Amino acid sequence: MKVLILGGNGMLGPWVVKALDGRHYLRVTDINKPSDDRHEFVQLDASDLDGVVRAAEGMDAIINLSVLRPDRKLAFDVNTRGNYNMMTAARTHGIRRIINTGPHFQLAGPQFENWDFDLNPDMPPQPGTRLYALSKALGQEICRVFSERHDIYLQTLLYYNLKRPDTLGGPEGKPVFANDLTPYSIAWPDAGEAVRCALEVELAKLPSRCETFFVFADLPHRKFRNEKIKRILGWQPRYHLEGLWNKPPVEA
Amino acid sequence: MRVLVTSAASDIGSLISEGLRPGHDLRLTDLPGASSGDITGCDLGHDDATDQIVAGVDAVVHIGYEGQDGGAPALIDYHTRRTYNLLLAASAAGVERCIYISTLRLLQDYEENLTVTERWRSLPPTDDPVLLACHLGEVTCKEVARDGLLKVATLRLGFPIVKGDRSDAVASGETAAVASDDVVAAIRSALTAEIEQWQDIHLQSPRPGQRFLMHAAQKLLSYPETETQGAAR
Repeated sequence: MKVLILGGNGMLGPWVVKALDGRHYLRVTDINKPSDDRHEFVQLDASDLDGVVRAAEGMDAIINLSVLRPDRKLAFDVNTRGNYNMMTAARTHGIRRIINTGPHFQLAGPQFENWDFDLNPDMPPQPGTRLYALSKALGQEICRVFSERHDIYLQTLLYYNLKRPDTLGGPEGKPVFANDLTPYSIAWPDAGEAVRCALEVELAKLPSRCETFFVFADLPHRKFRNEKIKRILGWQPRYHLEGLWNKPPVEA
Repeated sequence: MRVLVTSAASDIGSLISEGLRPGHDLRLTDLPGASSGDITGCDLGHDDATDQIVAGVDAVVHIGYEGQDGGAPALIDYHTRRTYNLLLAASAAGVERCIYISTLRLLQDYEENLTVTERWRSLPPTDDPVLLACHLGEVTCKEVARDGLLKVATLRLGFPIVKGDRSDAVASGETAAVASDDVVAAIRSALTAEIEQWQDIHLQSPRPGQRFLMHAAQKLLSYPETETQGAAR
């Protein structure tokens, strides 16, 4: 598959590129040039409508990893209008597979997270007014409307707390105990692998043209539910975070 | 009551500001390129100018449909980012309510024979950036209300807006038409009515075979004057 990646050189981008490397042709875009030059690179701001449409020509799928948080102008330009640009590009070139990403609270904002348990990705979004959450949620709403009106399959992967493998103990790090971790955590490699699963799933297996997935490791809190991505996309976390919620052994 | 009206240089902004002028202390604003006379230019940025435009205001009438021109990027920007800036500044200044002027065109893709009310999901299109942006403005307003920053009434106006009174709207032959007099009367009511934290309100001029039901307008704004008219089909 020929895949356009928006925001491919941010925090998540390199892990996604690693998961797709050798399996797909990648056209990586970002405002910053990556150090790895093994893939085609186009310097591109996701808020540039014409540029995004041009970059999507000849592609089979678009993955959007772009995000900007602290500045109101930049946040809405990238997180909201960037999604309009992506969907316009998809429609222009007949691209049917879109993978969008964002934080879990663009759907499950404080009115959910502070109150309830067993939160799942099929709830209606309640982002609240935090800049990052709302600007991403508005971008998601644009994507939803496009998927409703056109033959475009939108999969949205929602993340939150991402951890380096060498902080998790086990073979790649020292034992770590009792961090009382965020009940929506995942290791970076597993986050990249989830994108690969979304890219490679048969579209006919998706229940609808607009599906959202919570992506995090198996955790004991029951605050959120991650069964949907395992059931539909076949994703399984390779990194397990038990050390972060177990107290250290008591020394004799 | 001191009321801020946005997009005041537009046709709908002008209609509303002229209609509200008697009995209200109006402050009018629009983007700098459209400002003139008593309309103060403001970018609705995250800055002091926006803070000043909302200072001392009791309510904001924010035009969400056909208040601005431009392509999709400009319209989406206006109805998301600038609307966010406006409402957060208004909340910080102690403004208690916003009337967001939207349109029943967001529901026009439902068949005419259906009893569409505020409980039906809107169907924004992708080919009309004015409508898509209007919808995104509704979402922005709803989240502001959800967080308890402001009360928001989303007033979805019928189409077309026919200048004159109810008889003119009926004479237009359009089943979703709303008379300009009815628009003004409903907004005047919405400025003082007991409203929920967030509320969609559908508004068209009553007529035989009217397209949309108006239970919320009847309940909250006593519009139209009799419940029978609000439910008429």
